[in-house]
Amino acid sequence: MKKKVLATVLSVAMGVTAITGYGTVVSAAEEDVTLKVFSNLPDRKNGQGLVEQMIIDEYMEANPNVTIEVEALDEEAYKTKFKAYAMDGMPDVVSVWGQPAFLDEVLDAGVLTELNEADYADYKFVEGSLDGFKKDGKLYGLPRNTDVAVFYYNQKIFDDNGWKVPATYDELLTLAEDIKGKDIIPLAMDGGDGWPMAIYLTDLVNKIGGNTKEIVSDAVKNGDFTAPEFKEAADLLKKSADAGLFQDGYDSQDYGTAMNLFTNGQAAMFYMGSWESSMALNEDIPEEVRNNIRVFTMPVVADGKGQANDIAAWNGGGYAVASDSEVKEEAVKFLNYMYQPDKLSKYGWENGVGMSAQDQSEYMTGEETELQKQIVQIVKDATSLSGTPINDCGPSAFKTSIESEIQSMSNGTGTVDEFLDTIGKACK
Amino acid sequence: MKKLYSNKMVIASLILPGLLVFVFAILAPICLSVYYGFTDYSGMGTAEYIGLENYKNLIHDSTFWKSLWHSLLLAVGFICIQHPLALIVAAVLDKLQGKAEGVFRCIYFIPNVISVAVIAYLWKFIYNPDFGLLNNIFKAFGYTGKINWFDSRIAIWSVLIVLIWHGFGWGMLIYYTGIKNIDPVLYEAASIDGANHTQTFLKITLPQMKSVIQVNVTMAIISALKQMETVYLLTNGGPGDSTQFTANYLYQQAFKAFKYGYGNAISVVFIIICIAATVLLNIVFAERSEKRKAVRR
Repeated sequence: MKKKVLATVLSVAMGVTAITGYGTVVSAAEEDVTLKVFSNLPDRKNGQGLVEQMIIDEYMEANPNVTIEVEALDEEAYKTKFKAYAMDGMPDVVSVWGQPAFLDEVLDAGVLTELNEADYADYKFVEGSLDGFKKDGKLYGLPRNTDVAVFYYNQKIFDDNGWKVPATYDELLTLAEDIKGKDIIPLAMDGGDGWPMAIYLTDLVNKIGGNTKEIVSDAVKNGDFTAPEFKEAADLLKKSADAGLFQDGYDSQDYGTAMNLFTNGQAAMFYMGSWESSMALNEDIPEEVRNNIRVFTMPVVADGKGQANDIAAWNGGGYAVASDSEVKEEAVKFLNYMYQPDKLSKYGWENGVGMSAQDQSEYMTGEETELQKQIVQIVKDATSLSGTPINDCGPSAFKTSIESEIQSMSNGTGTVDEFLDTIGKACK
Repeated sequence: MKKLYSNKMVIASLILPGLLVFVFAILAPICLSVYYGFTDYSGMGTAEYIGLENYKNLIHDSTFWKSLWHSLLLAVGFICIQHPLALIVAAVLDKLQGKAEGVFRCIYFIPNVISVAVIAYLWKFIYNPDFGLLNNIFKAFGYTGKINWFDSRIAIWSVLIVLIWHGFGWGMLIYYTGIKNIDPVLYEAASIDGANHTQTFLKITLPQMKSVIQVNVTMAIISALKQMETVYLLTNGGPGDSTQFTANYLYQQAFKAFKYGYGNAISVVFIIICIAATVLLNIVFAERSEKRKAVRR
């Protein structure tokens, strides 16, 4: 009797398993997958955000069973929420930065999945651009852009007043005097956020020392910023602020306010990354300004080792896949789709979103904006790249410290020596 | 009914929801904060016990003390500027009567209805040195210079003005409600005795409002200590740390600098300060009311 009962139970169990197993097989073929993308590009109608959304829409069209849910926040809010997600429930595909200030803690916590570098052999990534996303030789993310720090300037204002693009830093300061004399703001600076000024400092160190990478990594490693290059660069930044190169109250004004000063024609120049080159295609900006935006890079500093073509450039933002993603396979598939050379790179180029981290030369049509052509030329002519900006080279505590202290140093609340001492301590 | 309320099960079931909320939403997070305060937790990965290291660092952290000083300044600003003004405006509103009373009550309360984000951006534009309203007003009066309202030497006062202005409506509304609850017979008797407005305010309104003032002052001090969102959106503590407030600094350390353990140590000290401030105020007010009772006897 017992045997009969056991046999019945086993056969029922087998039947149930077979049915449910079959069910799984059937549903796997048509299984609906929801991918969660967490992005730092909240503007989905312009620039980089638009490109990202275009690829997402295409992917959903090509894969009807996949739904992609996007959550987009601006950079500061993004990084805060990223950390909250890191504790539990990280979305499947996320924006990341291939810089120690962001990536070190994230990789230590093991929240990103390892990618197979060999898969990307044909993706035309620019030499060295994957380095920032690696740890112990393993790849954890892919870079999106090649960012270059530039001075955007309004050529019409320059021509109308007979001003020339400065070749040396002294000429820049003299030019600022002339511009101020015409009641125009010389240079719009987003000083409220701290990081653009840190990039400016990197740019100056690069022009003074010639080889930023080594100087910066040594300083961060030893928590010692007493090297003369840092002091000279910081002195120069303070001198520029004192001379009125930046707008009044630059140290409390945010990205949007600084950019508006330039796009409204109130400021003659704007210091920002090449990702803003889409300004030339942004119809919200008055045509008179939009069509006259041009760029130049940091002028050489007297007695500096850096030459005109040693530029501040790096591979910053990109994407990665969460290690605890329940749909990891699909997430990696989507990531790879985004990075097919005719996607992020091509669409980015067509939409004037600066330089990609992949070779874009085949997408050049000759009909690019003057601004795009100029930036491409700058990168082509570059004799060296600075690498990651100083503020992103150390731990997060260092980043927070330098981005706050640089305001106090430039506005004169603290001295240059205090600034260098404090940021050094923050590395330890 | 009385029997029902003396049933311990009924009492327990009535207390339980509140108690659960308190335990899980307040007490447990505080205990976790105390625990993390003794660690070097970055917010991700594992936490290692480091004893009192965070607290030792806190003692030497000049930004922390500066932010605490700013919170104190704000509390003083609330007590010495916002609340006397709110009380006087509430008393005047009460005397206005009719339609005007309602209209002005609404106008004064408007800042409290507007979202903090809007308030912050509104004031950012008002203070802007290049196109801000304030500098344009000065320009209209012939002043040609550009005042940088967020210059690190004066930025804290610019922020305090916004915070005092923003919280004004709440204070006024509570005082206004308090005044409305005063027995009108007292005012009638005073007017028969020939008391003027000032005398009525000082001898009737103020003494009758003491308990309301106590509540309002306690709330003002706590809200000054807790100040975060307006500052975060207006200046984020900058330039440098010239407008840094404790709650904002705590947030920056925990979530931007990846020093979650240190941020929790700040929050523990912060909780202790808040509790101490509340207890101190209760003692001060309790002593005063006892003295008053003794005088009456």
